[in-house]
Amino acid sequence: MALTTVQGQMLTAPLTLTGNLTFSDGSVQTAAASPYVLKNRIINGAMQIWQRGTSFTSASGYTADRWTTVGNSATNLSQSTSVPTVTTGNAFQYSAKVGRTASSTSTLTQLIAQCIESNNCYDLSGQTVTLSFWAKAGANYSSTSNILSLALYTGTAADQGILNYVSWTGAASVSTNINLTTTWTKYTYTTTLGSGILEAGLFFYYSPTGTAGADDNFYITGVQLEIGTSATPFERRLYNQELANCQRYYQIVGVGGCGRAFNTTNFEVALALRVEMRAAPSGTVINDTGNIAYPGVAAYTTTSLGSLVASTTGVALNLVSSGLTSGATMITYARVAGLSAEL
Amino acid sequence: MYKQLKNIDGSIANCIKRIEDEACIPFDLSNTDYQAYLKWVDEGNTPEPADEVV
Repeated sequence: MALTTVQGQMLTAPLTLTGNLTFSDGSVQTAAASPYVLKNRIINGAMQIWQRGTSFTSASGYTADRWTTVGNSATNLSQSTSVPTVTTGNAFQYSAKVGRTASSTSTLTQLIAQCIESNNCYDLSGQTVTLSFWAKAGANYSSTSNILSLALYTGTAADQGILNYVSWTGAASVSTNINLTTTWTKYTYTTTLGSGILEAGLFFYYSPTGTAGADDNFYITGVQLEIGTSATPFERRLYNQELANCQRYYQIVGVGGCGRAFNTTNFEVALALRVEMRAAPSGTVINDTGNIAYPGVAAYTTTSLGSLVASTTGVALNLVSSGLTSGATMITYARVAGLSAEL
Repeated sequence: MYKQLKNIDGSIANCIKRIEDEACIPFDLSNTDYQAYLKWVDEGNTPEPADEVV
């Protein structure tokens, strides 16, 4: 006897489900999700973590954590509180707003992307995967037919970096277009990947037309890439967990370091990293006012990073300032550097 | 464009400075910034010499 509706009954194994399983929220699952947790290969898919800032103009590089503009010189990206709503309230805290500045006539592709580390995608080889995300068009979205394109690139060598995605070893890609509306909508895309995958990059982009209006953007959040033939509910991670995930690729260090001024301009300090990073990180100084000091005596501000020695677990920074007292013991009071081991 | 760096003792540092954003890039083959630097060198480019340590 075929059952299509069961209510208030106990079912005894073995059970076999043929066809789709529809949940009370309307989502449909055609196959078991495996694993049900830690399934999402996208980090910061909910656009929660913004260590580098919350607004980027003509961005070239990383913006929201793990999301990059891939060198495009005209993409504006900012944190937005426009989010999808469900019957019980907001589904997410933030979205990313991606597009052109009002009155811009640039027709360069507007793009964000995320590269997935080999450690987190090698098992996608030969698998059917499903991408899901929420998106909407801004009121003045200028893409023809409101198209938002998405592409999933893969390669067969580990971690060659997203800037080189077109020349990755064994490069392959799948892509599709969707037509946005100005209403938040959940979209899904299912595809089967090739074999030998050791890197992957997910891209969202559109080609603007004409002169930008006040809101020539797309908004996106809730990005999830998982193994399976259908989208399961978004994997919600606690804020601290997702922050740690992001810090494997970028983290800010500074508070709590102790070192010595070698002369009047150079102060060297060693700092343990909060999370082990993917690779020995590159460092960029952060010149917060009064970020280095003689304890209780005087504060100074860094001007540049003289050099660094880096590993995946710690860095030694040669911080450059002025007016220091040679030989004095100093501490770091505030942020002194951003460290990047991004892909 | 890149520039060599020196340690405080005057020796050449095991990192290179990317001039556009003044990022110090360690010589680690897993670091994609370093990969980009090596590609730039392979294309026939040479980094600027380091400033003298004061």
